[in-house]
Amino acid sequence: MIRLQDVTKVYEGGTVAARDVNLDIQRGEFVFLVGPSGSGKSTLIRLMLRQEPITRGKIWVAGKDITALPNWKVPYLRRSIGTVFQDFKLLPNKTVAENIAFTLEVLGRPRSVIRPQVEQVLDLVGLDGKADRYPRQLSGGEQQRVSVGRAFVNRPPILLADEPTGNLDPATSVGIMKLLDRINRTGTTIVMATHDHAIVDAMQRRVVAVENGAVVRDDATGRYETTMHHAIDAGSTIVPGDQPVGAPPEPTPEAAEQAEHAIGSESPDVEADGEQE
Amino acid sequence: MSRVAFLMREALVNLRRNALVVVGAILAVFISLSLAFGALVLNELVQRNTLTWQDGTHVIAWLKDADQGGLETAGQLGLMEEIQSWEQVETTRYVDKLAAFQEFELLFGERRPELVQEINPNALPTSIRIELTDIDLYRDVVFRLQSNPAVLNVTSAGEQIEQLSSLSTVLNVLGLGLAVLLGISAVILIANTIRMAIYARRDEVSIMKLVGASNWFIRVPFVLEGMIEGILGAGLAVLTVWIASQNLVTVGEAIPLLTLDIPTSFFIQWGVLFVIFGALAGIVGSVVGLSKYLREADGSGVPVTA
Repeated sequence: MIRLQDVTKVYEGGTVAARDVNLDIQRGEFVFLVGPSGSGKSTLIRLMLRQEPITRGKIWVAGKDITALPNWKVPYLRRSIGTVFQDFKLLPNKTVAENIAFTLEVLGRPRSVIRPQVEQVLDLVGLDGKADRYPRQLSGGEQQRVSVGRAFVNRPPILLADEPTGNLDPATSVGIMKLLDRINRTGTTIVMATHDHAIVDAMQRRVVAVENGAVVRDDATGRYETTMHHAIDAGSTIVPGDQPVGAPPEPTPEAAEQAEHAIGSESPDVEADGEQE
Repeated sequence: MSRVAFLMREALVNLRRNALVVVGAILAVFISLSLAFGALVLNELVQRNTLTWQDGTHVIAWLKDADQGGLETAGQLGLMEEIQSWEQVETTRYVDKLAAFQEFELLFGERRPELVQEINPNALPTSIRIELTDIDLYRDVVFRLQSNPAVLNVTSAGEQIEQLSSLSTVLNVLGLGLAVLLGISAVILIANTIRMAIYARRDEVSIMKLVGASNWFIRVPFVLEGMIEGILGAGLAVLTVWIASQNLVTVGEAIPLLTLDIPTSFFIQWGVLFVIFGALAGIVGSVVGLSKYLREADGSGVPVTA
């Protein structure tokens, strides 16, 4: 679904945000990009969205080489990728329903199609009573639910999330993770950058650790903690780019059960972010 | 189709939700175009008034009577035909003694009837009234007339005409210059105001790009907004100046010699042009204002998170 080959990104001023990164993400996978701030997680996500020009290497998304994509085709790429960010990135002048509908408006869907789809997604993210509120009238958790709804409403094959829980308290974060998990179960490939240990450990999914722009670990069902330690004592032995690409996840039944246990499998709109504006 | 409807709705909703900024932009258009349109109207007034003054008789050749060594009527008419053939001369008119007396009567009959009583209808000389093609040429004509033995005397508006014509040129240049200058500053002011409005919403632009909106999809509502603001502001400006000038006409009626009346066709013609001008300024302002953020969103416009 997503393939990175020898991806290198050097920012103006010489900061190397990605060094020969090789990564292969299969359809339907849920992949965590972990690592400390400034390690290059966000850069990888931005490169996959073509928000930055790449310095070297190639990236394929859904079989297309996006590094060779002409500028005018970039919107089409982005329409096949849902995005969720730490700061929600909602349109302040639009209501919850309008924010979610915007994805479909961009695609030119008729109103008769947009309305039921938006309602369905509002129900999925547990905001059906708040369709006409503005983002500023919502709590952080609710805003992030809107953002997830907007990312998912057109059923994109891929969803990229950059620190989606970065601004949320742990309980609220669990709610968002449950949502993402549900979306992943519909077959959507999810790549999520995070440094939230608890979440990564609870989900038991593939973990790709990034440090100083290089992939230092790639575990099919990983934990966050091993990262540091791994990086410290294995940093010299692991040659970036020479990384065995992690096997497609297909979480083992036990792992899946553990995840279920950790974050629950009920509908996402329970406890968690009951906090109001 | 649904897209077009969506983009129109989008523009209208944005206008409503950003009321304060929109009012600011409309006012900017209104004020700057009012000044420019006012200057234009003023220029038109000056032109109309100097034109009125320039109309009519410029040179009068008073002719000697036959007994004073002048020509008979037939000869005088021949002289007029000759004058008419001069290239500087537009029209000539022959005013005989009777007509001269009637003119005199008309001028003084009501105010100084005793003057009319006393004057001998034959005392007033015959004259040829001359209108020139260009008033600046009066010197040549006066000179040629004076050298004609049949001519008693020549009077012309001379100096006054010269002053008037140079004054009207100066006023014309000033008025047009002012209108052009104010027009240019209007475009800059409008473009800048709309740019500021877009600057306040640059994050929205980058979010729209993130969701996969194409540049034109983002641009159209902004451009429609700018156009509507431009049309409203310019329309208000034209209306205001029109109403003001209508009020001036009433005042102007008390002042003789001055005409403050400008035909409605002038306002309609120039008004339409100004509204189009306002709309264009709005469109240009939004396209220019947006281009930077559209480009930024392709590169490093979105703030880096984490």
